[in-house]
Amino acid sequence: MPADLPALRIEADALARRLPRLSAQTSASDAAHLGSAGRRRAGTGEDFWEYRRYNTEDDASRVDWRRSARGDALFVRETELETARSLYFWIDPHAGFNWRGGEDRPTKADRARILSMAIANLLSREGERVGLLGSGQPAAFGKRALERLYQMIASAADPDAGYDLIAPKRAGAAIIVSDFYDPIETWSARLAPVAAKCRDGILVAISDPTETDFPFKGRVRLSRPGTTLQRILGRAETVQTDYAAKYDANRDALSKLAGKLGWQLITHSTGEDALVAASQLHQRLSRLRETA
Amino acid sequence: MTLGPFLFLAPFALLALIALPIIWWILRATPPMPQEAALPSLRLLDGIEPSEETPAHTPWWILLLRLAAAALAIIGLSGPIYAPGTQADTGEEGPLLIVIDDGWASASRWGELVDAARANLETVSRDTPIHLLTTAPRQRAFDPATRTERPDMAGRLTSLDPSPWAVDRADALARLDASGLSPQRIFWASSGMNGPATQTEPQDTAPLSGEAFATALADRAPLTIYAAPPRAAMAITAFEVDATGALATLVRAQTASEADVFVSALSRDGTGIATASAQFEAGATTTGARFTLPPAALSRADRFRIAGVEGAGALWLWDSAARRPRIGLVSDGEATQPLLSDLHYVRQALAPFALIEEGALETLILSAPDAIIMTDIGEIPEAALGRLTDWVNGGGALIRFAGPRLAAQGDALTPTPLRRASRALGGALAWDEPQSLAPFPSASPFSGLQPPADAKVRQQVLARPAPDLDEKTWARLEDGSPLVTAAPLGSGMIVLYHVTAGPDWSDLPYAGVFVEMLRRSIAAGQSQTIANADGLYAPQLVLDGFGRLVPPSDLAAPISAADFPQTPPSEINPPGLYQGPAGSLALNAARDYVPAPITDWPAGVTLLGDAEARAFPLAGFALGLALFLIAIDLLVALATTGRLSGARTARAAALLLALSVPLATPIGQQQTAFAQVFSEEERANPALLMRFGYVLTGDSETDTRVEQGLSGLSRYLTERTSVAPAPPDAVDPETDPLELYPLIYLAVPETATPLSAQAIGKLNAYMRTGGALILDTRNGASVGGESDFSSLQSLLAGLDAPSLAPVPPDHVVTRSYYLIDGFQGRYSGRKLWIDASTITPGERRGDGVSSLFVGDADWVSAWASDDRGRALYGVDGGKLQREYALRFGINLAMHILTGNYKEDQVHLPTLLERLGQEDTRDNESEGRPEE
Repeated sequence: MPADLPALRIEADALARRLPRLSAQTSASDAAHLGSAGRRRAGTGEDFWEYRRYNTEDDASRVDWRRSARGDALFVRETELETARSLYFWIDPHAGFNWRGGEDRPTKADRARILSMAIANLLSREGERVGLLGSGQPAAFGKRALERLYQMIASAADPDAGYDLIAPKRAGAAIIVSDFYDPIETWSARLAPVAAKCRDGILVAISDPTETDFPFKGRVRLSRPGTTLQRILGRAETVQTDYAAKYDANRDALSKLAGKLGWQLITHSTGEDALVAASQLHQRLSRLRETA
Repeated sequence: MTLGPFLFLAPFALLALIALPIIWWILRATPPMPQEAALPSLRLLDGIEPSEETPAHTPWWILLLRLAAAALAIIGLSGPIYAPGTQADTGEEGPLLIVIDDGWASASRWGELVDAARANLETVSRDTPIHLLTTAPRQRAFDPATRTERPDMAGRLTSLDPSPWAVDRADALARLDASGLSPQRIFWASSGMNGPATQTEPQDTAPLSGEAFATALADRAPLTIYAAPPRAAMAITAFEVDATGALATLVRAQTASEADVFVSALSRDGTGIATASAQFEAGATTTGARFTLPPAALSRADRFRIAGVEGAGALWLWDSAARRPRIGLVSDGEATQPLLSDLHYVRQALAPFALIEEGALETLILSAPDAIIMTDIGEIPEAALGRLTDWVNGGGALIRFAGPRLAAQGDALTPTPLRRASRALGGALAWDEPQSLAPFPSASPFSGLQPPADAKVRQQVLARPAPDLDEKTWARLEDGSPLVTAAPLGSGMIVLYHVTAGPDWSDLPYAGVFVEMLRRSIAAGQSQTIANADGLYAPQLVLDGFGRLVPPSDLAAPISAADFPQTPPSEINPPGLYQGPAGSLALNAARDYVPAPITDWPAGVTLLGDAEARAFPLAGFALGLALFLIAIDLLVALATTGRLSGARTARAAALLLALSVPLATPIGQQQTAFAQVFSEEERANPALLMRFGYVLTGDSETDTRVEQGLSGLSRYLTERTSVAPAPPDAVDPETDPLELYPLIYLAVPETATPLSAQAIGKLNAYMRTGGALILDTRNGASVGGESDFSSLQSLLAGLDAPSLAPVPPDHVVTRSYYLIDGFQGRYSGRKLWIDASTITPGERRGDGVSSLFVGDADWVSAWASDDRGRALYGVDGGKLQREYALRFGINLAMHILTGNYKEDQVHLPTLLERLGQEDTRDNESEGRPEE
């Protein structure tokens, strides 16, 4: 089921408005002013910027021999200074993620979308590139890129059209939103290629209150959405403590995984306000930029 | 199939009980259905083994519950019946014989007898042959040899009615023998009474006692007996009228406790005339109910019935012989010294039990009385003589008294020729002393009476000696000279007292026996003691077994007058009224009946009590209980799957409880519509709710009755109309605000203390300002008399009463709600008096409601009912009259509340229809008018 894009957009925009602009918090120093599109000068980057004459202080290895061979002078290939970073979002397309434990709250996927869209909105306005992992599209900036991202996020609700967790071509920061209920080893394997490309990353673990509280009693047949996995419990209340322990262990392992990757972890419950998670995410992102 | 006290209609269903272990096994293997839930984090549970897994088998108590439900369902389907009176099976089922006592003694518990017999039917299988033997002899009795199947027999038992005559068990036994039936089992639904031990029974064929009958039956097959001796009073066995009233002799069978009975006197058309009460002492079988009614009222009675008891014995028919005779007293009108005249003594003697007419002889003959009494009339005028002779020939009793004139010149109408002189005894010139009466000859109708020892006869006329004088003599003096002689003439009788009716010649008129002698003399003319050997008495109205009067069947045959006293009631001669040449004769079912409960039962028979004789089908109960257990199981299953939260559990439990209540308690809680709840304030303040008031009279019995009556009326108003009065208030006219009550009832007690001047003044104001005061003297019992309102004059001296007039039949009160044609209360046929000015339309003021209603029909007693709507007091005419009384009360309340608005249009269609019916009665071809 594709998500209702207009409704998502309204919520996401409202959420974005409630968050402070990222620039307001960071220092206005030019050097630290990252991510602007108009950094039109030579610097470290990947795109070609210009050829310039070889200076003596330049390392010999920097000589662009192909250009130099056309003439007598030695040229050095300068790339454009690339300070704008790419932020890659990924939302778990699993059916179990697109699920809610009660009518009074949104599905975890919806919450993830709203969060992602709000943050993408903020970042895009700051001139950062935003993209969706697995979509095949590179991260881009600008209004149209944001709009395309919105549409991709909305359509990502369909598990069939879901996007796999594929490492981006370019480096950047990754925001991985899921419930992380698969075994940690699975996640570690999944995240490894992404972490190879993205030095920074944030894992947003969204859970439903039903999953945290395990409110089942009596004889229950539990099934995992999207899978055929199911289990019958004679008296569900007896396993509640075990479940809680397992849940906590899962979160601990997740946190360790994030530390190992050099990433950060945010946990959020759909029973809470989306603003809580958004501001946490916002704060971590700000810190990322400061350290960058 | 029987199993102890249980038997099963479909025993093969019990085979399903074999399946119970299989059900056990299946139930063990099947856990309850789990609750379905999705949990994306289910992977987290990998590796967790719950410490308490779902029981692989259901808990034992659930298993027990389900097995019990299954077993109950199976047992229920097998149709179990709890019948403690059942005997165990003796293998092959032979014929069952049901013997049922259907004499009149069974009538009061007839339903129980039939139920017991039907319950016994349930104990046999469907195709067991069943035979029926009834003990009361009938021509069309069931042949015990007739084999009947169970359903047919049930219907046959239901349609059986008790007979109005007694059982003849010897005859029944003979019929059983004649049928050649050899039953395997016998059930006897017995009346519990021995056969008739009446004096009319011929001595040589003594009735077979109940014990002997039981022994005879037990000899043939195993015998079960259900004995149901009547609980209440059984029968009226005799009825005697004397000078002060009448005495009904009642008998009963069970003597354990005291019991009150009531006997109603009913007129020919069924209206109640009077009720007498009697009490059985503990241990007594007989008692007497005395009617202290004026003889004139009693003479209207036609039959007497024990209230609330069914059966031919509970009804006593009165024939014309027992009814009050009409006596003609010949007087010439001159009464210079009334207390000394002969007529005075005759009148005083006969007044209590006879209707007396006085007048000239010619007029009396024309009215054809039962007897004519002439005191010392010498020569009957020639013109009258012929007709008088004819009248005597036709059955009249002519009773003459001697006297100087008769002694001087006698005529032919004497029983025996007389000497032309009177004989004086004990005079100054006579040798002999005044004579006493000799004992009455045994052939005389006076036989049995005790001649007064102190009554002396001083003078008499003497009969001429004749050969037949002796047999004509009914009473004689000690010296043998006749005192009373009589001779039949035609079918009539001429009786001559040889003394005067006054005390001139003898002390006889002073003696109490004089009254009885006169009565027997009068009865002589009615063919009771003489001339009764001829004539046939044909049944006119007969009783059925329940004591209802029905037309005689074609089997009922006339009885000759001679046999009448000896005839026991039977099918050919059913109890009832027989019409013959000399009026009617009653054959009463329980005449001289002596109740004799069967006390000794032969050994070896099974005696059933009340409870044992019944059979309780248990199928419904077992199935219901099974359903109940299944419901509990459902709740338990819901609870174990966690689908019952606390609130829902409570709700479900409440629902289950509510469902189970009808199972546990029989429905039958009667709610009355009158059970309105009024708040305390509304109760306290009469201005808040419309209600009736009644004046406290100071006589607590009267006040209670009026309160009950007005409550009853209010209740019926609430039930039937849109008027919903609150319970009535007692008002004290001196202090309470009367204007708050639309209707104030004042029942006048017998011991009325006059109302104070202040109270009268306030009542006057109440009536002037539109109130309606209802005065009820409650003394309408005086039969035929005019209403007596004299008590009102003393009680209500000073009351501003308008001139009163009886309510005309077309007054609006006769149709303000119901269409009624009388103002019946406890007494019927009483008048209602209202303000005369409200009757004639021209003089009306206001809305035409009279301010005063005066009557004496004791309406409150007829209205009175308790809070469940049951009537509290007896009403002369029974239910129907009570209903009419209530209708009058509703009409009265409606009239008072709504005035005359019903007068014009409301009942116009009905009224037109009534008029139309009367019009077209003459001309039937036109049919009824269009509506």
